Amino acid sequence: MLVLLAVHALAAVLAPSLVRALGRRALYLLALAPAAALGWALTTATATETHPWVPQLGLEVALHMGALGRLMVVLVGGVGALVLAYSARYFAPDDAGLGRFAALFVAFAGAMLGLVVADDLLLLYVFWELTTVLSYLLIGHDAARRAGRRAALQALLVTTFGGLAMLVGFIVLGEHAGSYRWSVIAGDLPSGPLLTVAAVLILLGALSKSALVPFQFWLPAAMAAPTPVSAYLHAAAMVKAGVFLVALLTPAFAVSAVWQAVAVTAGLATLLYGGWRALREHDLKLLLAYGTVSQLGLLVAVLGTGTRTAALAGAAMVLAHALFKSALFLVVGVVDHVTGTRDLRELSGLGRRMPALAAVGVLAAASMAGLPPLAGFVGKEAVFAAFATGAPLDTAVLAGLVAGSALTVAYSARFVWGAFGGAKPSEALPPGPALLAPAALLAAAGLAAGLAAPVVDGLLAPYAAGLPGPGYHLALWHGLSVPLGLSAVAVTAGAAVFAATRRRSRDAAERPPAGTAAYDRLMHGVDRLAVELTGATQRGSLPFYLGVILLVMVVLAGVALLAGAPWPVALRPWDTPLQAVVGAVVAVAAIGAARAHRRLTAMILVGVAGYAVAVLFILHGAPDLALTQALVETATIVMFVLVLRRLPATFSERPLRGSRLVRVAIGVAVGAVAAAMAYVAAAGRQARPVSLGFPDLAVSYGGGDNVVNVILVDIRAWDTMGEISVLVVAATGVASLIFRRSADLRQRAPAPPPGPGTGWLRTATGAAQQSIVLQVVTRLIFHVIVLFSLYLLFSGHDAPGGGFAGGLVAALALAVRYLAGGRDELNAAAPVDAGKVLGTGLFVSVGTGLAALPFGGQILQSAIVDLHLPVLGHVHLVTSTFFDIGVYLIVVGLVLDILRSLGAEMDRQMSEPEEAA
Amino acid sequence: MEDLNLPPIDYAALSPILILFGVACLGVLVEAFAPRRARHPVQLVLAIGGSVAALVMVVLERNTRVVTIGDAVAIDGPSLFLQGAILLLGIVSLLLIGERSLEAGGPFVAQAALTVGSEKDNRQAQGAPGNTEIYPLAVFALSGMLLFVAANDLLTMFIALEVLSLPLYLLCALARRKRLLSQEAALKYFLLGSYASAFFLFGVALLYGYAGGVNLQQINEAVAASQNSDILLYAGLALLAIGLLFKVAAAPFHVWTPDVYQGAPTPVTAFMAACTKVAGFGALLRVLYVAFEGVQWDYQPVIGTIAVLTMIVGSVLAVTQQDIKRLLAYSSIANAGYLLVGVVAQNREGVSSTLFYLVAYGFTVLAAFGVVSLVRDADGEATHLSRWAGLGRRSPLLAAIFTFLMLAFAGIPLTSGFISKFVVFGAAIDGGQSWLVVAGVVTSMIIAFPYLRVIVMMWLSEPAETTPTVSVPGWMTSAAVFIGVLATLALGVVPSPLLDLTNDASLFVR
Repeated sequence: MLVLLAVHALAAVLAPSLVRALGRRALYLLALAPAAALGWALTTATATETHPWVPQLGLEVALHMGALGRLMVVLVGGVGALVLAYSARYFAPDDAGLGRFAALFVAFAGAMLGLVVADDLLLLYVFWELTTVLSYLLIGHDAARRAGRRAALQALLVTTFGGLAMLVGFIVLGEHAGSYRWSVIAGDLPSGPLLTVAAVLILLGALSKSALVPFQFWLPAAMAAPTPVSAYLHAAAMVKAGVFLVALLTPAFAVSAVWQAVAVTAGLATLLYGGWRALREHDLKLLLAYGTVSQLGLLVAVLGTGTRTAALAGAAMVLAHALFKSALFLVVGVVDHVTGTRDLRELSGLGRRMPALAAVGVLAAASMAGLPPLAGFVGKEAVFAAFATGAPLDTAVLAGLVAGSALTVAYSARFVWGAFGGAKPSEALPPGPALLAPAALLAAAGLAAGLAAPVVDGLLAPYAAGLPGPGYHLALWHGLSVPLGLSAVAVTAGAAVFAATRRRSRDAAERPPAGTAAYDRLMHGVDRLAVELTGATQRGSLPFYLGVILLVMVVLAGVALLAGAPWPVALRPWDTPLQAVVGAVVAVAAIGAARAHRRLTAMILVGVAGYAVAVLFILHGAPDLALTQALVETATIVMFVLVLRRLPATFSERPLRGSRLVRVAIGVAVGAVAAAMAYVAAAGRQARPVSLGFPDLAVSYGGGDNVVNVILVDIRAWDTMGEISVLVVAATGVASLIFRRSADLRQRAPAPPPGPGTGWLRTATGAAQQSIVLQVVTRLIFHVIVLFSLYLLFSGHDAPGGGFAGGLVAALALAVRYLAGGRDELNAAAPVDAGKVLGTGLFVSVGTGLAALPFGGQILQSAIVDLHLPVLGHVHLVTSTFFDIGVYLIVVGLVLDILRSLGAEMDRQMSEPEEAA
Repeated sequence: MEDLNLPPIDYAALSPILILFGVACLGVLVEAFAPRRARHPVQLVLAIGGSVAALVMVVLERNTRVVTIGDAVAIDGPSLFLQGAILLLGIVSLLLIGERSLEAGGPFVAQAALTVGSEKDNRQAQGAPGNTEIYPLAVFALSGMLLFVAANDLLTMFIALEVLSLPLYLLCALARRKRLLSQEAALKYFLLGSYASAFFLFGVALLYGYAGGVNLQQINEAVAASQNSDILLYAGLALLAIGLLFKVAAAPFHVWTPDVYQGAPTPVTAFMAACTKVAGFGALLRVLYVAFEGVQWDYQPVIGTIAVLTMIVGSVLAVTQQDIKRLLAYSSIANAGYLLVGVVAQNREGVSSTLFYLVAYGFTVLAAFGVVSLVRDADGEATHLSRWAGLGRRSPLLAAIFTFLMLAFAGIPLTSGFISKFVVFGAAIDGGQSWLVVAGVVTSMIIAFPYLRVIVMMWLSEPAETTPTVSVPGWMTSAAVFIGVLATLALGVVPSPLLDLTNDASLFVR
């Protein structure tokens, strides 16, 4: 069997090139693939093969062909070969899509073959989905209309949905039974509620694939496909997959009442609905489509019953239906081909003009109507016999079946009358024998199967053998029995219905099939939901996104906090009440900043909070930290002001009151959770803080009394090294972003100042806009401040100060010069390239760190030198001071760089006209 | 003070990370010193060559199981597998990134700092050679990812997270066209990503307080027997998880994904969708399986809920999307949900199935974005879905490829999408998480709808006047798409070798 599948695959791959080389004759060659399957099935009774595939998943290529599989292989292979042969004449020789069609068709035949011989349920699902996808591609062969698109999407969605449901059913079944091999599961089916769940899910798949109520709507819509595709997919192959599944599983599943009830109810409903709709269609193909829906309903109802006779009857009907329905589709294709229409109101006189075609059509339709001596009759007799038991439930089903048969007779008559009746002569040319032959063969096969009923019985009996119920044999003549009478009733009633309805001209055909509305509503609902959800959650608003993330943070962390109660209780509110006051100042400033309308106000309030934190440091006894914090705040404010010049004075968008409240709530919640976590974390300390040893170590190893500074330049010198590197990178980044042209960047080093004065009292001219007094004052105090900064730098090891603080002071001096006199003044004050200052600083720091190496120390190790110098007296020098000098230079360079780019360069850009667009 | 002793370092085991890091630094130097014209070929060769070299080292080191460099990095089955996967996907992404024949100058802006809409900007859009700094950036991101999946302590993991994230933020902003969209995407990604990183760090701090260390084994031992308050553990884990789930785009931290995927240059989107996802899930697996195994019963319901939410959000919102990149973004969210199902399974199959899924999804999504980059009109890529109508007529091959990829996303058999969903769901059933599987199947049904709609639109609509043309791809994009499609098919038909590999690789060293 694997060989046959491989043959199909190979044929599908070769098909496009074959078609290109041989034209449409290639289809005859390709027909050999399904024909080989037919030949093999005719000569082989049963077969089993197993090949490993994905052992990790328990997935194997387990193939098994029993009586039912054999029947299906015969149909799939035989009808497939004939339809391919038919297609060789049906399509125009120059049809551009023929290669693609041929490849897909053969591939589909292969997938179908795989489906009916698969023993592993997962493998069956694989082939099942393959047929879905391939059928979609075949349906879409030449349908470009909107209706065709809708139909294809519908078919695809419905069958994919069903397929997934079925897969879940298989998995439930397989996991429960411990195997996915049907031949294993069938003998030892687990029972219980899980079985019912599996049954319902699998039936969902089968019903959707075979277009049964409530999924009946997709099949008529899929008739946009070319006729050969319809003949194969929608008569013999794909829609039979659902029927096949029901037939395969019923022998084991019939014990489940749900299985039986669902299958029979859905089947009967479909039978009647399809028959009724078929009577109202004007398009021959749609008539057949509804006829197919109807017959599929019959098949599922019969096969789902699970008695021996019903199983046999169902199998016979599967055979009969495949033969007559594909023949009829092919006939419609011929009619369409020669006349250009399928509308039975326009067709007339074909019967006289083309007797051969008419004969084939009538023969097949008679089989559909269940007239003797055709296969359809044999099947229907058996069906009636299966339910003519006298039990009340069976009788009710029987009544439905008879009514359905009457409708079948009626639409069969309508088909014949519509396609071939009428007296008006037709102009069309009769079809060639090559086009007609496949249909004729199929119709003749229907006749042969009817005549040779005992042979068919022998072949199908093994399938039904294991089931309960009395034995039955397929035959043309059972004597004057109840079924025969019911057949007569059905034929008579059908003829009457046809006579009553044929003259009526209703435009029911324009109506979409029932169930479409429900499908549309469902789709619309999903669409609607998606749109609403998108509108609600994906507005592209950053505050909203952030709000979502913060809320989840509050929930997750909040729950963790609450769940972790009781909390540690070592709470000490403050050391001095003054801390509470300062804390309140911080809080008030923060709230004010959040409420501020103007950017400047907000920024200043943030600054206030920062200064207040500095006060907290002082209260804690850390003047050094406080100094640094205050300086950083000041520098930050200066930078902010520089940037804010280019921004609107007020925050652009003020959110509505409602959303403002929400934001306030989120903010408060996040703050509360963060504070709680900080508290828990701080109170949860159990180990001794590592910093307890720092004061002693700072003196003994670092040689300084200022612990903070020693930490920076010695204990954690590596960290500082990393941080100053980041500072350098950040400064460079700011500069390269602001200086638009790289040429500007290269020239950012100031030109020699144009003003009077040289040496240390350099000033700039042309800064007339600014206050003269301010300029003079700043020039006077500038050097004092710089001197102070140097003092801070060198005294920092033992007293508050240090390179960072010193650098900031010097930088502020520069900033004051710039604010008072503009960029020329700045250039005059610091006639150096900021980049060079930065580079020098980094070089000094790294150099100091490395300098320890030659002396046998480790990187960044510091040495203490005590000297007596003549004038200065005792000098206590620690080498890490040089490291601090590097820090100092980098801080100065950073601020200088920012003043140049955010200040001076932006001044220049603002003063020159906007770049021409 | 006792002497500091250097911990032993297994350089061979670390070599993939080191190689990429070195290559990225070299790339920066090339930017500084190579003449402008030579930069693109040199950078491209350097980046791909470096990645291949790193991949070779991963293969050579395949049997290494070691915790090295002071317990900071664990080179074990999962990390080697994930590193290999990231490198493979990264090489394919680099092919997409390096493509320059689709559009004069490539998909990246020539100078990122130019004001949008200015005269210079218009000039550069006409075909100035694109930025070549993208290569070092991408390689830095790759090296960060390699470290991320191997990090054995939370601080190393955080550093790796930043090393991989920062270049990505930048890369997002570098689109040649629709630059405002691209910059907005980068800004959103950066801001939200910074918050996520901050949460991660906060979580690390709390966990340090709990366990007295940031090493994953240390945390594991502390979970078993710590005297500290459980609040620290749970709050720390929650914050840590937020940081990681943000990276893998799990709901409700997914909000950035559609905007960023849409705005970023398509090759970068592909890179993020494939590689970042692998890295994020790799780290998530390691954290949950190694450090927090002891509290799995506590976090499983939470992660499970997030998984369900992610699947629902991804699949339902995908239905209404009109832009192919946004559609793929939601699809990636939904896939994150399926991956989480594997993570929550909390058994060995959970690990191996997640690994398999990551690789399979990565290749498919790379190919999909490769195709997206080919469908263009005069204004660049035509991503609106209505423009794809009738593409099957104009260029059947491309449409066929995309159809196949969509089917793979939908989980149709014989594609890797089916096998990967199957293994993940199977692991979840084994792990007793059937409710996740039910949600997974239902959402699979929903999300099949948009995929199938794209297919139908491509094949069954008449090409309109506005249906864009398909550019003839250069060999690099062709190769990337080809590799992606081939992998999708191969992993769907013969998944056994990779399944074996993931199974062998699914044990973490401790």
